[in-house]
Amino acid sequence: MAQPILVPQVGQDLTEAKIVELFVKLGDTVKKGDLVAVVESEKASFEVEAFAEGIVISLPFAVGDVAPVLEPLMHLGAAGEEIALDATVVPAAAPAASPADTGPAAVALAMAPLRAGGNGGAVNAARRASPVARLQAAARGLDVADIAGSGPRGAVVLKDVLALASSAGAGGDTLEIRTLQSGQGTPVVFLHGFGADLSAWRPLLADLGLGLPLMALDLPGHGSSRGHHAAGFDEIVAAVGQSLQRMAAGVHLVGHSLGAAVAVALTEGAGLDVRSLTLIAPAGLGPSVNGDFVKGFLGARSEPALTAWMRRLVCDPASLAPVLVRATLAARADSGLVPAQERTANALFEGSTQLFSVAEALRRFQGPCTVIAGRDDAIVSLRDIEASLPGNVALHRLAQVGHLPQVEAPRLVQALIARSIRSAG
Amino acid sequence: MAERELMYREALREAIDEEMARDPTVFIIGEGIAERGGSYKVTEGLLAKYGPGRVRDTPIAEAGMIGVGVGAAIAGARPIVEILYVDFAMLGMDMIVNQAAKFRLMTGGEGRVPFVMRTQGGTGGGVAAQHSQSLEALFYHIPGLRVVMPSTPSDAKGLLKYALRQPDPVMFLEHKHLYMTRGMVPDGEHIIEFGKGDIKRAGTDVTVIAWSNMVPRTLEAAEELSLQGISVEVIDPRTLVPLDRAMILASVSRTRRCVIVQEANRRGGVASDICSIILAEAFWELDAPVEIVAGLDIPVPFNLALEKASVPQKDDIIAAVRRALHESPVARAAG
Repeated sequence: MAQPILVPQVGQDLTEAKIVELFVKLGDTVKKGDLVAVVESEKASFEVEAFAEGIVISLPFAVGDVAPVLEPLMHLGAAGEEIALDATVVPAAAPAASPADTGPAAVALAMAPLRAGGNGGAVNAARRASPVARLQAAARGLDVADIAGSGPRGAVVLKDVLALASSAGAGGDTLEIRTLQSGQGTPVVFLHGFGADLSAWRPLLADLGLGLPLMALDLPGHGSSRGHHAAGFDEIVAAVGQSLQRMAAGVHLVGHSLGAAVAVALTEGAGLDVRSLTLIAPAGLGPSVNGDFVKGFLGARSEPALTAWMRRLVCDPASLAPVLVRATLAARADSGLVPAQERTANALFEGSTQLFSVAEALRRFQGPCTVIAGRDDAIVSLRDIEASLPGNVALHRLAQVGHLPQVEAPRLVQALIARSIRSAG
Repeated sequence: MAERELMYREALREAIDEEMARDPTVFIIGEGIAERGGSYKVTEGLLAKYGPGRVRDTPIAEAGMIGVGVGAAIAGARPIVEILYVDFAMLGMDMIVNQAAKFRLMTGGEGRVPFVMRTQGGTGGGVAAQHSQSLEALFYHIPGLRVVMPSTPSDAKGLLKYALRQPDPVMFLEHKHLYMTRGMVPDGEHIIEFGKGDIKRAGTDVTVIAWSNMVPRTLEAAEELSLQGISVEVIDPRTLVPLDRAMILASVSRTRRCVIVQEANRRGGVASDICSIILAEAFWELDAPVEIVAGLDIPVPFNLALEKASVPQKDDIIAAVRRALHESPVARAAG
């Protein structure tokens, strides 16, 4: 079954990237983790790696082309396989000029796995599937149209998806860790906030200049882990902790908001040697969260509505790039994402109350810890954060900055992350 | 904690006896409940112990009895009104629906109606259409009423004691087939709060929700299904209002399949409403359509064979569970 490798997001407000190196050609066989290309923005270059094994069956771009982000850079499939025509992408000159080109439909199309042999080859053309089978298939990048279902009238049910996933060797229990930049030394793991996914970190990492491996994962209920349901904060921490076991020898954690709370919780009981913590607008320190925001953000279905809510994330509305809103909306084209995040929200927040706290765990953490928070944060208040910080933690209070310091003050946040990690030696 | 075996009717009697001894405002009225000890012998011995002022026979006049009960509750007493068949409670619907259920709201919360109507419903023994109905949906539909449907002696005692301590009108719906069933009841003070369901049997493959007399029938089905290698979780909400949504949703999210069994006829029933809650809250967890096993949409027949055919039987529950697992309704012989 053909699957696309997408052009990565290279900047908060950048909609295209230049292809500077291609390490594969049509017909090559690649393994999971192989470096397949390097793309660059004006500021930095990004390595693209294969997330699965397969043969390169389409390669629409050549070195030197400018490709729209989140469009397929290439497709992997089986020998002799063709990709459906409607999902191939013609190199676009400037898709940012037209919102339609980067809207949900375009991205959903790009993310949809392709059918072997075109439309005629689908074994389940009517796409009959139980709700949980549909959700789990989407989470694993599978298309129910390709699955022979064992349920009533050929409907795909959960066991069909699980059987296929396990035969493909795709583990369902651990969250997939992505390498955002390779490097040498103790890895740095980035944990995104509620409602985001790991792609949110890409712009920030461009010129961090650490030389360490930079990794990230999607929290349960988010991004590629949207099929992974966690019943509460502890389950989220357990899932992340389990996924990070191969980094037990030492890891630096950088987290934003919910991800910051997860990072703190991982300092205890997860069997990890956490060398440093960098917490950006951390949740889990005070009792309150902006419940209206969580509800409104999840409920927004249109670009204007989502824009209105996402503006609450920042101090200066102008700093919220439209592409960020569109990427969030595009991710929601997957019908399972919002319900998954609503479930997560219900488990984490009750109205404007955070049902979890990591204040005690932070108090017990003896390593270097840096907290970066905006004075104008409308989601988690600076006052709450300040009130529960122990004395050995460095707090950077950023004026004219809201809940996304990494967007509103990227240079400073980069410098502080690098300093925090270097201070651990 | 120590426990002993009691019949359902004995457990109910203990609850009434203990609460009458504890609270002098508790009294009970009904047809044949004092001198005769009640048609189902729930109130046997209470007249001798508490006297005719607190254990009182009434004429055959349900509207009047329910009116007395609601009025006494508003005036500060804790009446129990026993209605011989839930079918006859229809005579008192104005007092229940328009007075008891509304009074708290219409007095801005100052007036409370701690009125307990004990009655029984369901099929059993060919007592025909006017003595066999399961009418919980009528009360379930009315905001302001609590609807309690115990399936075991222990639940019957614990829930009735709670009913006699909480401040709102309670429709306490027993089942004519359950009075003689036996079960272990904890010694000492035994109270069960409303809104807390009970997992009657833990399982992993399918969640079956049932109440009242459908609980023992579902447990029999679960036992037979276990021999077919199917693990059934049986949840008894015990109170339909308030409903233990959390327990239901947690179980369904775990098993991903749900069967709801009600003796009442299908149309407009409580099962349909519970199904709608599951679809709204746990749709993406489901691996099969929610199955409802319910009575037929007909008046309950007099003829015993037809009566049996009109309400869910063990095999109906087994077939629904197997459908939820995408299996054929009947297990094929091993071979």
